[in-house]
Amino acid sequence: MAPWHGLLLGFLLLLAPGSFGDSLQLVKTLTVPPEAAVQSAALSPKGDFVAAACRDGRVRLWAFPSGELRQAFDLKDQRISGVWFSSDGTLLAAGGNRGAVRIWNIPPGKLRNELNVGAAVIALAFSPDRNLLAVAPAGVPAQLWDLEIGKFMTTLPPKFAGSAAVAFSPDGKWLASADEDTVIRIYEAQTGALRASSEDFLLETFAIAFSGDSKYLYAGGADKTISAVDVASGKVARTFPKQSFVVGALRLSRDGKFLAAVYFDDKGFSNPAPVLVWDVASQSVRTTVEPGVTTNGGGFLPDGRLLVTSSAEGKLQVWAVR
Amino acid sequence: MAWNRAALTRREILEKCIALGSVSVVSSFPVAAVLDAFGQMEARYRRPTPPNEIGPFYKKRAPETTMLRAPGDPGMPLSVSGQVFNTRGVALSNAVVEVWQTDHLGHYDLDGYRYRAKLPVDHSSAYKFDSVMPGHYPDRVCQHVHYLATAPGHKPLVTQLYFATDPVFEGDPDRNFARDPLIHSRELVRPVMLIGDPKEIQAAVKFELVLELL
Repeated sequence: MAPWHGLLLGFLLLLAPGSFGDSLQLVKTLTVPPEAAVQSAALSPKGDFVAAACRDGRVRLWAFPSGELRQAFDLKDQRISGVWFSSDGTLLAAGGNRGAVRIWNIPPGKLRNELNVGAAVIALAFSPDRNLLAVAPAGVPAQLWDLEIGKFMTTLPPKFAGSAAVAFSPDGKWLASADEDTVIRIYEAQTGALRASSEDFLLETFAIAFSGDSKYLYAGGADKTISAVDVASGKVARTFPKQSFVVGALRLSRDGKFLAAVYFDDKGFSNPAPVLVWDVASQSVRTTVEPGVTTNGGGFLPDGRLLVTSSAEGKLQVWAVR
Repeated sequence: MAWNRAALTRREILEKCIALGSVSVVSSFPVAAVLDAFGQMEARYRRPTPPNEIGPFYKKRAPETTMLRAPGDPGMPLSVSGQVFNTRGVALSNAVVEVWQTDHLGHYDLDGYRYRAKLPVDHSSAYKFDSVMPGHYPDRVCQHVHYLATAPGHKPLVTQLYFATDPVFEGDPDRNFARDPLIHSRELVRPVMLIGDPKEIQAAVKFELVLELL
């Protein structure tokens, strides 16, 4: 799997220790064995759990904010390439470097589904009703699965290569894929039938997020710009001001007013790059988290707070963005 | 008596199959001519070029040009050439080859089209381009050039070209090619010819592309 895939799986930001000033506040430190370095993490939508993909091949699940380690899962003998929660937080999925996907009920952590998509899992999304699963394996078309009966439904093929990101609309009607042929495609979620294509992008999109009303898809990638794509037509309706860094991840607040964007430096993923919180209505930057520590996951809580996670030796830290 | 594989030629095996009825020839041409054609078709077979990841920085609508470097560009001049075939050995003169790479310092141009091109393929399916040896991208191990080759009726080929001179291989790509975890096939590491006089030395590489039929 390409190193950049690993970076795009989660929420990545690079910050030099001590230089983040007032923008971040440490709220919790979760400990892991030294050999189990956290590669990426996911925050449950309600903020009651944190899951981490660890280098020792285990997924660790903590209750948050108590920090109590609840469970550790594995993907048999595969390395974990990412972890994802369903939008209601009741399911947790982990994908492996050779295509294994396992899904657990949270709580109590009971295995619900197990499938294989044939290649390293790059991106994954649950439909809002949790009946459908979209998975992007590395370099090949994304797949749509029916989780109720545990069956593969169809592929979502680009002209070539695979997909970097997949997302279901909040109303459950649409499934979007950001494809490596630079096209963003919108499918009918229930059937996988192609409904619109956005051919306006010259470079690849790495991150997508639907607006709360399911009418727009926010997209960011190698063009260093966030675009709002009209879902019905596939046309770019508006663009946010271009930055000097590539967009690696996007998270929309519950009320749809704020969009958190994680950037990275295309001249070296380990170079410092910021996180910006955009005001969607005015397309202006509301908060800038200056480069400081390396973080790898996060999201908005129902109360509007934005949390991000970062790993260091033997620990996963959870920060609140002020 | 043990059957000796080496004792029968491919043609003799086919003739035996015809004699035993497991292969039948339905043609107005003599059996010998059909077998000749069969043999030629098998001999033309080419193994498909191993695919390799597309990476994050493909940019569509690259300009049609064979000259990727500008006058005075720093870095070792590089010339790459090859032909495009399918697995049946048919030269694909209607193929389109796109390449993209970093500059000699390992930087991709995302804002423009430096070191990106759509290459014309001539009537004999040959392509070539002039560039500079790419630098080491900070998040990759080896120097590389990205390829996307397409032709009607064929699977798009996404792959990468690597160089046997890459210092990472320490002169022994047979042993060391896997030092870059993205290189799954030794075949993608190509020998480099150094040509020209010492004042204007240039690296030259041949890289044949073989596409699979749909």
